[in-house]
Amino acid sequence: MFHTTFYLRRLHSLCGLLILGFFILEHIGTNSMALAGPVFFNGVMGMVEEIPKPIFYSIEIGMYAIPFLFHGLYGIYIALQANNNPLRFGYLRNWNFTLQRWTAWFLVVFLIWHVGYLRIYLKGVLGNPISFELLQNMFSNPIVAILYVLGMWAAIFHFCNGITTFCMTWGITKGPRSQNVISLISMGLCAALCLATVAFMSSYYIY
Amino acid sequence: MPDKVRFIIERQDGPNEKPYNQEFDVDYRPGLNVVAALMEIQKNPVTVDGKRVPPVTWECNCLEKVCGACMMVINGRARQACCALVDEIKKPIHLQPARTFPVIRDLLIDRSVMFESLKKIQGWVELDGSWDVKDAPIQNPYTAQTAYEISHCMTCGCCLEACPNVGPQSDFIGPAPTVQAYLFNLHPLGKFDAPKRLNALMEKGGITSCGNSQNCVEVCPKSIKLTTYLAQLNRDVNKQALKNMFNF
Repeated sequence: MFHTTFYLRRLHSLCGLLILGFFILEHIGTNSMALAGPVFFNGVMGMVEEIPKPIFYSIEIGMYAIPFLFHGLYGIYIALQANNNPLRFGYLRNWNFTLQRWTAWFLVVFLIWHVGYLRIYLKGVLGNPISFELLQNMFSNPIVAILYVLGMWAAIFHFCNGITTFCMTWGITKGPRSQNVISLISMGLCAALCLATVAFMSSYYIY
Repeated sequence: MPDKVRFIIERQDGPNEKPYNQEFDVDYRPGLNVVAALMEIQKNPVTVDGKRVPPVTWECNCLEKVCGACMMVINGRARQACCALVDEIKKPIHLQPARTFPVIRDLLIDRSVMFESLKKIQGWVELDGSWDVKDAPIQNPYTAQTAYEISHCMTCGCCLEACPNVGPQSDFIGPAPTVQAYLFNLHPLGKFDAPKRLNALMEKGGITSCGNSQNCVEVCPKSIKLTTYLAQLNRDVNKQALKNMFNF
């Protein structure tokens, strides 16, 4: 009667594209500052630290933690309803559908590690500010660096393919031609953001 | 062309029995299709090992891709057996039941879930009388072509078999019954019940369970543009949700 499923699904879609989509772009933007070297990067990190704590924490919890938890937990419920069959039906969109779910599973594990270690343990519990040197030290282990690049790629693909499916779910793109155009644009964005990730990650090996 | 065609058939003696494979050879003849081959096996149900077995059970009716009854999984793909020509498919030919639906026996499945779904979305037009031809409400000429296209749906279930979100793990009613709601919403009398159908699609297992894998449109034997109408219905249910909110 109240269509709970409908509103939860639409909220999941909105939350993923607008809030988490904004977050991933902001995250790539901030991390790209590493390209300009340790001094500039640490300067940007210092500016973030100057945001008054009550405002900073409200943004972190209200804008990030809650939407992430909702999108992640409800997403697990959605992913469990799929019986992925790309080997039987190997069409491009079906592969994207499957990758959307595989990247999601990888991201659940990756984000628990990433947020748990960097934000909660290093910054929260030990009180270490995030700096270029700290990340450089962390990425000196090539396995960690590779897992971080894969984590970023997974998140970027999930976001970009999400743009395409968002347009279908909201009835914005109806016909196959408009759906293909959006799909091409979002996969172009995906490739660009993946390359940007490789670029800013390599700066930890250059400086 | 060899004079025998090998069929590897996944059989099952009852709804809760274990599936097993059996192989049969059928004499080749030009234009042979899978249904005709199954009929040959029925006449002489002897496996390649020379064992006489109970004949393979399947369902078919019109033999011209109109009724939908003979849908099965042929070489991994859900399609109609009557228009699967032996000349055009890879051999040996693998036949399996469409396991998205409960298997009754061998290739025979129970597709009644789709009819239950059609009841949920009100896949019919309420009549309040009858007209002489000249007085009857006319079909909108601009949407008649679309309505005609969707009315070709024969509830064969190919789209449900291909859809990763349809199956025992999910309550999604599937592309075919969902898109039928759009057909009846286009009808000059059916459109009066459009809010009812859209509200039904907003329920659990309705259109929100669509994950946009778009397998449905790839496998539809009637080439119905299912994804286009699913997107249209997404638009329609969003509008309906706004109406519900602000009329509350």
